[in-house]
Amino acid sequence: MKKQWNNYNPEGFYDELMLAQHQPRQPCYKLVEYLRHFSDEAFYTRVNESELVIREMGITFTVYSDAGNIDRAWPFDIIPRSIPASEWDRTEIGLKQRISALNQFIEDIYNDQKIIKDGVIPEEVVLQSKGYREQCVGMHPPHGVWANICGSDLVRHSDGKLYVLEDNLRVPSGVAYMLENRNITKRVLPELFQLLSIRPVNDYPAHLYEMLASLRPDINQPTIALLTPGIYNSAYFEHAFLAQQAGIVLLEGADLFVDKDDNVYMKTITGPERVDVIYRRIDDDFIDPEVFREDSVLGIPGIMRAWKKGNIAIANAPGCGVADDKVIYAYVPDMIRYYLGEEPSLPNVPTWVCRKADDFEYVMEHLPELVVKPANESGGYGMLVGPHSSEEKVEEFRKLIHENPNNYIAQPTLNLSVTPTFCDKDIAPRHLDLRPFILSGADIYVTPGGLTRVAMKEGSLVVNSSQGGGSKDTWIVDDSVVIGGGAA
Amino acid sequence: MMLSSVAERVYWMSRYLERAQNTARLINVHTSLLLDLPKVKEINWYTLIRIFDGDPLYQKIYKNYSELNIMQFMMTDRENPSSLLSTIFALRENVRTSLDLLPEEIWEQVNQQYMLLQDAQKTVGNRHMRQAALRKIINGCQRIRGILDCHMSRDSAFDFIQVGKHIERADMNSRVLEMASVLLSETRSDLLRRHEGILWTNLLESLGARQMYQKHMKPRVQGRDVLQFLMHDSRFPRSIEYSLHDIGVYLRQLPDHGKIVDRCEAVEQQHQATSEVEIPVEEIQQFMDQTQYELGQLHGLIADQWFNPAVAGATQSQSQSQGTQSQSSQSNNSTE
Repeated sequence: MKKQWNNYNPEGFYDELMLAQHQPRQPCYKLVEYLRHFSDEAFYTRVNESELVIREMGITFTVYSDAGNIDRAWPFDIIPRSIPASEWDRTEIGLKQRISALNQFIEDIYNDQKIIKDGVIPEEVVLQSKGYREQCVGMHPPHGVWANICGSDLVRHSDGKLYVLEDNLRVPSGVAYMLENRNITKRVLPELFQLLSIRPVNDYPAHLYEMLASLRPDINQPTIALLTPGIYNSAYFEHAFLAQQAGIVLLEGADLFVDKDDNVYMKTITGPERVDVIYRRIDDDFIDPEVFREDSVLGIPGIMRAWKKGNIAIANAPGCGVADDKVIYAYVPDMIRYYLGEEPSLPNVPTWVCRKADDFEYVMEHLPELVVKPANESGGYGMLVGPHSSEEKVEEFRKLIHENPNNYIAQPTLNLSVTPTFCDKDIAPRHLDLRPFILSGADIYVTPGGLTRVAMKEGSLVVNSSQGGGSKDTWIVDDSVVIGGGAA
Repeated sequence: MMLSSVAERVYWMSRYLERAQNTARLINVHTSLLLDLPKVKEINWYTLIRIFDGDPLYQKIYKNYSELNIMQFMMTDRENPSSLLSTIFALRENVRTSLDLLPEEIWEQVNQQYMLLQDAQKTVGNRHMRQAALRKIINGCQRIRGILDCHMSRDSAFDFIQVGKHIERADMNSRVLEMASVLLSETRSDLLRRHEGILWTNLLESLGARQMYQKHMKPRVQGRDVLQFLMHDSRFPRSIEYSLHDIGVYLRQLPDHGKIVDRCEAVEQQHQATSEVEIPVEEIQQFMDQTQYELGQLHGLIADQWFNPAVAGATQSQSQSQGTQSQSSQSNNSTE
């Protein structure tokens, strides 16, 4: 693969693996050397092998289509993405700081609302959040933690810094694929793990179990279940995988009921049995038809009653989505200062909040250069990417923002970093992001690395697997002991 | 602890696994039989459809009974709920939803089977490739059974797996034995009489029983003895009697089994009672139908007791358990 690597050119973008053309970054020197020395045939064989492993291991995600739901093989690129351990350690501190502030914020919003009273965040901003649930007012989940599992999306800009793009606090997915990506790499490129010191990720399920168990400090060995919407959900593979790996019960709403004593029971072959902790992978809206959407057939009638009485712990706590909102996102740095008295160590992407007069003016003046996002959408829907959009599209958004400034934020268009990716027999630079997972219960745990998603099309910024994105194994590589480097 | 819904899934997982192996073996053996046999009016490709009671559906989909059509129908037609592909698909779905308590290697194995069969779609018409694919399916099913046997704790999941296996096995056995009424018929053709040895050997083969029959009964294959062996041998694990006995053994391991075990014992006694007498040829069909009916009843009792129990107390759970039922009937198409 020497020819392909010699021709590889990141074209002015920040490259995760290469310092410059022909020059790998220090800790990855051996990785690139190793990959370069494959013959084309030998390398393709490894690629094919990875595809076969994925098919045999049944690593799929479900795509909804007109022709019914199809299980697609998980898209995987065998060239790992790597991050130096020293950088990761700083990032981890920033992620822990961030989730602490977010959890204090949610606890505050549903109780004293000090942050509103002290004028740091306006009340309307909080109330406009689609994730706000007045039914949760007055609740104190264990350890004051609402968002027990968080997936924060990080991107790297051309300045070389990692920025938080968004915090997924509702039912973040992808961690199973992070684990499987590592399994695939170990099967397909086992030699690499001798060359470099790479942090293991496979203890995530054990940490997940401990975190969930810590939500019932009153019970010695609580019964823990993962609640899935079922086999037709796009993340079902992950639900089954996590339940199996963490040793918890995988069940659906129909397996559960709330009895007159306001306890939650599952239907077993020996009769009803109590459940103490639920890791739910369904949205608030569907969790309890008595309280939220009446037409939900996925949920369990009465479970909110049981939760409020403290008979069941639910992770993530209902209502925690209040902080998963693009406008509230803009206030996270203020939250960190307010609750922790610290400066944020991991930066937000600079954000203009259209409801602020100054910001509004700036956004209107610079609209064609900006990315505009509605407050409460995910998966890249309802967005404007100024530089890639027609004039009409820009004007359409100008009107939308005028009509409802509260619902929009704007950010500069980032130059996302790239990394070498195998595309059509060549090695080419492709944009990517990173989703680490943060577990919060009695303690906080951050995955070493996370799920790297990569846009497989040239120039594309869309990393979502449902829209043709791929993924990579993510390595946190020890950079304190590496000798050598230099030109390859 | 075992969820009712999970009990149902592993039970069906085991039935589909058994069904897949038996179906593959039956098609395989039948193909090789038709290669040996001159044209006999009683035995042809259509015999396979008959064993699976598949004719009404078959006639809706296909115009004539050609080898290719029948092989498509039996092997890769998703419209046919008892085709090999449908069976493996259902097997895979049930494994997928029970991954938290099955040995994890099973998942890889099932995926291989599924992929193999999908690839075989184009080649069912080619006898050579078809036979090779069927042998791989049989081997794959045996491997899965082996993993279950070697790596599973003897817990309730295992008990349901054993019960499911033997209900399915006894059911299939009785369907194949319906053929005895043709093979023993007073009015059977001369040609058929001349090839009786081959035909009975073939019947043994299709249930994987030839070797043990010859070892434990006698080297010469004779119709009445074969029937006796496959119905009543207490040491051969694929005889109906053995299956009925084992169903009882594993049911007794399960909680609150009283009523069902009583029923199972009654069925077993009924069956044993016929071991001393020779069933008249004209009653074989009816007898086998009755066996299938009893197995169906037993299945119904098992479902009521463990899969869809009525939950006392909570009123709202009523509608939910209906939801489970409709879902499972959708994903668990059985041939019954």
